[in-house]
Amino acid sequence: MAADIADAPAPPRTGRPRPAHGRNRKPILPRVWHFASFGAPGVLIYLCFVMAPILISFWYSLTNYNPFNPPIKFVGFENYVLLFSDEQFLTALKITTILTLIVVIVPNLLGLGVALLLDRKGWLYNALRSVFFTPVILSSVVVSIVWSRLLDDQGPLNELLRALGVASPPGWLSDPDLAIYSVASIVCWQQLGFCVVVYLAGLQGVPTELLEAAEIDGAGPWRRFRAVTWPLLAPSLTINTVVLLISAFKTYDYVKVITNGGPGSGATATIAFDVLQTGFDSNHVGYASAMAVLMLVIVAVVTTIVLNFLRRREVDL
Amino acid sequence: MRRSLVLGAAALLALSACSVGSNTGSTGGDKEITFLTFETPNLTPAYWDAAIKRVTDKNPGIKVNKLVAPTADGRTSYAKQLLQSGQFPDVMIAVDPTGFAEAGNLYAWQPDELKDFQFPTANPIKGQYYQLPANTQTIPPIYYNKKMFADAGITASPKTWDELVADSEKLKAKGYTPFTIGGGKDGFPSSMILTGLVSTEVYNTMPDWLTQRRADKVKFTDAPFQKAFQKLGDLAAKGYVDKTQVSRDYAATEQAFLDGKSAMYPMGNWFAANADSKKHDFDIGVFNFPTEDGKLVVPAYTGGGMIVSSKAANLDAARKFALGFQLDKDQLDASVKADGLFPAIKGYTPPADVGPVFKAGYDLYTEAVQQNAVVHAFRWETADDGLLSGLKDKVDQDAQDVITGHKSVTDASAFLDTEWAKAG
Amino acid sequence: MSRVRPVAALVVSALFFVPLYLVLANVFKQGDLIAKSPASLPMPPTISNIHAVLTRPDGLFWVSLTNSMVVTLLSILVLTVLSAMLGHYLARSSKRWTKVLTLILLAGLMIPPQVILIPITDVLRITHTMATLQGLILFNVGYYVPFGVFVFTGFIRSVPVELEEAALLDGASRMQVFWRVVFPLLRPATASVLIFLGVWIWNDFIDPLIILGPSQGTTITTGIYRSIGQYQADLGSVFALMFLATLPVLIFYLALQKQFVKGLTGGATKG
Repeated sequence: MAADIADAPAPPRTGRPRPAHGRNRKPILPRVWHFASFGAPGVLIYLCFVMAPILISFWYSLTNYNPFNPPIKFVGFENYVLLFSDEQFLTALKITTILTLIVVIVPNLLGLGVALLLDRKGWLYNALRSVFFTPVILSSVVVSIVWSRLLDDQGPLNELLRALGVASPPGWLSDPDLAIYSVASIVCWQQLGFCVVVYLAGLQGVPTELLEAAEIDGAGPWRRFRAVTWPLLAPSLTINTVVLLISAFKTYDYVKVITNGGPGSGATATIAFDVLQTGFDSNHVGYASAMAVLMLVIVAVVTTIVLNFLRRREVDL
Repeated sequence: MRRSLVLGAAALLALSACSVGSNTGSTGGDKEITFLTFETPNLTPAYWDAAIKRVTDKNPGIKVNKLVAPTADGRTSYAKQLLQSGQFPDVMIAVDPTGFAEAGNLYAWQPDELKDFQFPTANPIKGQYYQLPANTQTIPPIYYNKKMFADAGITASPKTWDELVADSEKLKAKGYTPFTIGGGKDGFPSSMILTGLVSTEVYNTMPDWLTQRRADKVKFTDAPFQKAFQKLGDLAAKGYVDKTQVSRDYAATEQAFLDGKSAMYPMGNWFAANADSKKHDFDIGVFNFPTEDGKLVVPAYTGGGMIVSSKAANLDAARKFALGFQLDKDQLDASVKADGLFPAIKGYTPPADVGPVFKAGYDLYTEAVQQNAVVHAFRWETADDGLLSGLKDKVDQDAQDVITGHKSVTDASAFLDTEWAKAG
Repeated sequence: MSRVRPVAALVVSALFFVPLYLVLANVFKQGDLIAKSPASLPMPPTISNIHAVLTRPDGLFWVSLTNSMVVTLLSILVLTVLSAMLGHYLARSSKRWTKVLTLILLAGLMIPPQVILIPITDVLRITHTMATLQGLILFNVGYYVPFGVFVFTGFIRSVPVELEEAALLDGASRMQVFWRVVFPLLRPATASVLIFLGVWIWNDFIDPLIILGPSQGTTITTGIYRSIGQYQADLGSVFALMFLATLPVLIFYLALQKQFVKGLTGGATKG
């Protein structure tokens, strides 16, 4: 067998061309300069301001760092163990999951519906598209303030419900069980326009010949959608889902401005919110860093799985 | 195109190098200090600017860089965040010194600096004094809508707890919401009633209850505390406290009472300033928080003053400014009118032209002082005899959970013990 | 069927638009009427709310606006330049280590800011850029470089490499080749990056809140958050401030609508 290997033809040469060949001589200095001038600044800032802090975060998570309570002590994985039995963290996990599921699914579905509705030429539809997209460019603080006034118990929505005869309208933001759904709905309202625009662009990429052919074959609108349009919308679905997923995990602004984590303890506190509250307000930086590292792991794992699934689906279709 | 990009970028970079900061109404001077303030409907930017100017006019050579916390109730958390990020202000007003003091971040006032204060030994932290005991606030008396009370047939203010409950029933029968509460991003309006209950019932028999708690001799789950907490639960269960109001922030809560939406408003006496200055089409009265047996017990907190960073670059200027701010008569008069404070400065009497609600509250307080009936206000203490750092927010959240029925009183009390252990 | 569609579209849009209508109506309504009748049309309309915000003694609006503009413009300019060059380098290289570097960079797309905010304050403090506009800009650049790289690497693959090689053979330096030959062809990518990052950085709330600190004034987002403490009873001013704060972004979007959409979908087909 060794003989077989020795007699096998040498594999084709790939990779760096060797200077000895003369023609592809690439001196080192210009190559280094090429990288230094083109790539280095970006990479350097990224390493300093993103990668390094992640490592520092990981280091903190292994300590009991608390600026109010020196000295700092190495505690190994104790923070992580504590986290899994910490009711506050588990609640935050639950809240984040609820919020993420709602924020990823609802704007996606509704966005598709609205896109199908608005998929026509004309000034009216262009204008309406802008109406839907405007909230996307608003600041989350503005959206939070406007909606928290709308949903206030004495606010316009409940006044309207009372006028319509509803005796005691729900406490949208004051009922601890309801609050997270209200916050999630507000996020959906803001993100809907993004999905609409992405789906609209996707729809415009569907070749009309395919649709006409299907119609000639006798397929009704639903069949046409399912067989022709929907598969071609796969890239749009991927974009929407991944973007919504990543931004759902980051949710902090809405929670801070609308409910500040309440009502009560943790009714709307997402993990992102908890990390900052524990780290900055309670000053348990070590513990908060452990939470943050876990959060990063969860985001990375979930996003990778979802992305791979969607990408493979794109290829299959 | 690239050249114009580069030029543009360079110009902007130069622009940003001259830091754009917020303006202050301060006079020119040599020593610069930073002063953390917070804004409320009472304490507007104009109020702070005028106050700063009054002090710097009398103390030339000090330049004040006014900083503003993003939320009023979050000013202590904000100070912690600033400490963390290396921007700890030199002077802060009404920021809770707990936590900062123990870690050595604050300047300890010396006895001769405290000689003009009525209660120089008000809030010791490890035996030292870090916060100027500038004013006393009764927290909470109960303000009420006189028209609604008359309409419900209530002729005298309740003195006992049972009378309060009976009056609430009368009000509810007439279709009025008995109590006004709030919460939202401000937290503390949710726990006002709890403060009254714990202060009048628990502190009555054991004034140093929290000191005992620090020594682990008592717990929140013990009978006395739970009994007081339960009363809040009862109010909520009977519908005297509207649980949908827990998400309403402080300013909206106050506005609701002034708009005549509910009958009683348990709130710190700082409310009197707005009661006297803002529009309301009914008379506002005030009575002490009722006690179990009718005995006079008035919860109050003295403190609320300036704290100074021990690492201030111009420590002398910072101290001078802080003391000047707290002791200047014009400033005190202004703060009485703007924020309803009872200054705890020796020899100070409020000006004659204070409003009727303020006067009524002030008379209640002086009566309590004469009868030696003042106790601490639970959740508002800021020293060795108070809650551990970070627990105030948990108390507010806990009160909300009990009001909404999300937690039973037993669970809520246990929660406080758990959080206490975590903060320790 | 064709009659139903526009009606249905209008109804759905109207429902969706209600919150925006409320803001617009109340900005121009007399202050004390807002709480009483939030949904009514502003009759008579007034600009006193807007005026009050613009002439506020501490200049909160103008200071915040300036800060937001400086931070946003500088951030997106630096980001465009750096990520275009970096993206070009990575797209044209076939070595293994650059592939790894690309992966590390793209992984940055998923990182929530909360994970790095606490240590960032330490890093910035060490480099003496904490609580400065420069610090916030540097942070923005680092954080959004992955997005820029993502967009640019996608587009650069559509630029024929022969163009570059021809220019190189003509004796141009790599820098010249990039800026004179390649970059002009990347206009759609540049537009996408400028637009998206511009909107995201302008609307950023949490990073200026923590990094910029109180002594440097506020950005427009943190300014709004701070002012609701004082303005709670003064609804007219709150709405006016939010309206004024949104105008720049709104104008920006309406002017560049087509590019927005193209930028969103360019990535879809180019992957």
